[in-house]
Amino acid sequence: MIQIKDLHKSYKMGSNSLHVLKGIDFNVEDGELVAIMGSSGSGKSTLLNILGMLDNADTGDYILDGVPIKNLNETKAAQYRNKFLGFIFQSFNLINYKTAAENVALPLYYQKVGRKERQEKALKYLEQVGLKEWATHLPSELSGGQKQRVAIARAMAAEPKVLLADEPTGALDSKTSYEVMDLIQKINDAGNTILVVTHEPDIADMCKRIVHLRDGVIVEDKKVEQVRAQQYV
Amino acid sequence: MFDRDVWQEIFHSIKNNKLRTFLTGFSVGWGIFILVMLLASVNGMQNGFTGQFNDDATNSIFIRTGSTVKAYGGFEAGRRIRFKNDDIEYIQKSFPDDYVEISGRFYRSISARYKAETGTYTVTAVHPDHQVIEKTIVTKGRYINENDIRAKAKVAVIGRKVAEDLFDKEDPIGQFAEFNGLPFRVIGVFTDEGDDNAERGIYAPITTYQRIYGNTDQVDVITLTYNPDYKLQEAIAFSDRIETLLKRKHRISPEDQAGIRVWNYAEAFDDISNFTSVLSAISIGVGLLILIAGIVGIGNIMVFIIKERTKEIGVRKALGAAPGQIVKLVLFESVFITALSGFIGLLFATAILALVGPNIQSDAFANPSVRMSTVITATIILVVAGVLAGLIPAMKAANVKPIVALRDK
Repeated sequence: MIQIKDLHKSYKMGSNSLHVLKGIDFNVEDGELVAIMGSSGSGKSTLLNILGMLDNADTGDYILDGVPIKNLNETKAAQYRNKFLGFIFQSFNLINYKTAAENVALPLYYQKVGRKERQEKALKYLEQVGLKEWATHLPSELSGGQKQRVAIARAMAAEPKVLLADEPTGALDSKTSYEVMDLIQKINDAGNTILVVTHEPDIADMCKRIVHLRDGVIVEDKKVEQVRAQQYV
Repeated sequence: MFDRDVWQEIFHSIKNNKLRTFLTGFSVGWGIFILVMLLASVNGMQNGFTGQFNDDATNSIFIRTGSTVKAYGGFEAGRRIRFKNDDIEYIQKSFPDDYVEISGRFYRSISARYKAETGTYTVTAVHPDHQVIEKTIVTKGRYINENDIRAKAKVAVIGRKVAEDLFDKEDPIGQFAEFNGLPFRVIGVFTDEGDDNAERGIYAPITTYQRIYGNTDQVDVITLTYNPDYKLQEAIAFSDRIETLLKRKHRISPEDQAGIRVWNYAEAFDDISNFTSVLSAISIGVGLLILIAGIVGIGNIMVFIIKERTKEIGVRKALGAAPGQIVKLVLFESVFITALSGFIGLLFATAILALVGPNIQSDAFANPSVRMSTVITATIILVVAGVLAGLIPAMKAANVKPIVALRDK
């Protein structure tokens, strides 16, 4: 699903340049649930941004579902993001003046899906995350866990190839974190490929594979026995 | 453009940001309001000026005589020039296509008596055409006609004030008043929009007075109107031609300004319309500057809005919004707000003008109003303003890097 070869990225900081990613080689198969771990400054967020086409790599190859991601203009990148990727953010990033259902329907709007179908799909995905009866509520009326579940529904609404979650539990308490991870595991069980960036070991253990980053290189890449979140809920 | 979803997005964002929408709209609405009021005021002044000259036909020419100041053609300076009836015929024959109405004037001061009432008035003895030239409004009876001229009838059309003074409450029509001892039948009463003074006058057939006063064919003043379709230049050229011809006929030096004086309303009008057009140019300038301030204000607020919505725009882009769609969203919103609020400002201004305008009646200011063209221009300015004000912020918004927008730590 994802093939990365010798990926480099550096940021200019005044006269110095900061080499953040120093040659990443990394493959993800269809249906994997991968945790990307590392302390802050290890380059994990940069890697995720490049994977999410929110940022461009300096050198190296990135192939997503057989499509080389290179030299995209803004419009093309937006199109690919919409088609291939679903984002889940630490701070949810719901649009605060839109209801839960409208938030979920937004990626479909950009896919130019008709109004009726959008509403149906939005409700379907809200039901999957257990929030169907909250469809008409604004984000401000939802708890943190509920907001993240809406965000997950939104990420899935466009039926992307890969879900990218950036510290999805970072703003949640442990109980809600496990609920969210339970949901992510179930989505993965259904066959979706998911990448989770986290620095919490217990969250990482709930994935099937853990990739450790340090100083811009992968220092460890191992498959793990998945801890089911269900038992903590 | 008329995609329901786009509109829904716009209404959503307006509804949820009422203060910001109000502030943006206010600056534009205010700008348009001032622009319209300013233009209407200038229009009111223009109307006021025009109104001042309204008691005479605005396409009229007055030709007076005086004493020459230059020796010319064998005559010494200081010769008194007088018009005769044939001067009127001469003008009629020379300019058959140019003049519309023409009348001589023959002034005499008389004392009038009816029963016990007496008074001193000026009689202006004229031709029938004079009614149109002077815009005399006959409220009762009739004006002097060709039969009176031919019959040299002793008839008079008296001013409203004269009627009040001499006849009190009696109907003056058909009564005989004595002018310097001669009985004149009153055939009409007139009013004049110009002033009360004109209503203290009396009109009589010019032939009658020429006979009474020594059986002359003398004329004091010749007045005429010209083709109202004439442009200013044509009108002035016409009066210049009359002046040249009459000076030649009376053997007056072409440089002599005193022997014959031709006074054309167009020249006075020229000055006024120059003045008012400068005035309206200034007011359009000031209005546009105010509008620019308004537009900068919107631009400012839009930039602020984009800052505030950076994150939202980042999210939208992450979810697959293309830059064009973001531009569309911001641009439509700003055009919508400017157009709507400008329209409200326009409505307010026209409402105030409609209410207050007709009640203002002073010499220098009358019936301020806006023309349709002004309204259309203002509307076009509005939409352009909306696009301009939205464009830069919209471009900026479209270039927001999602990664920057989403950096929330």
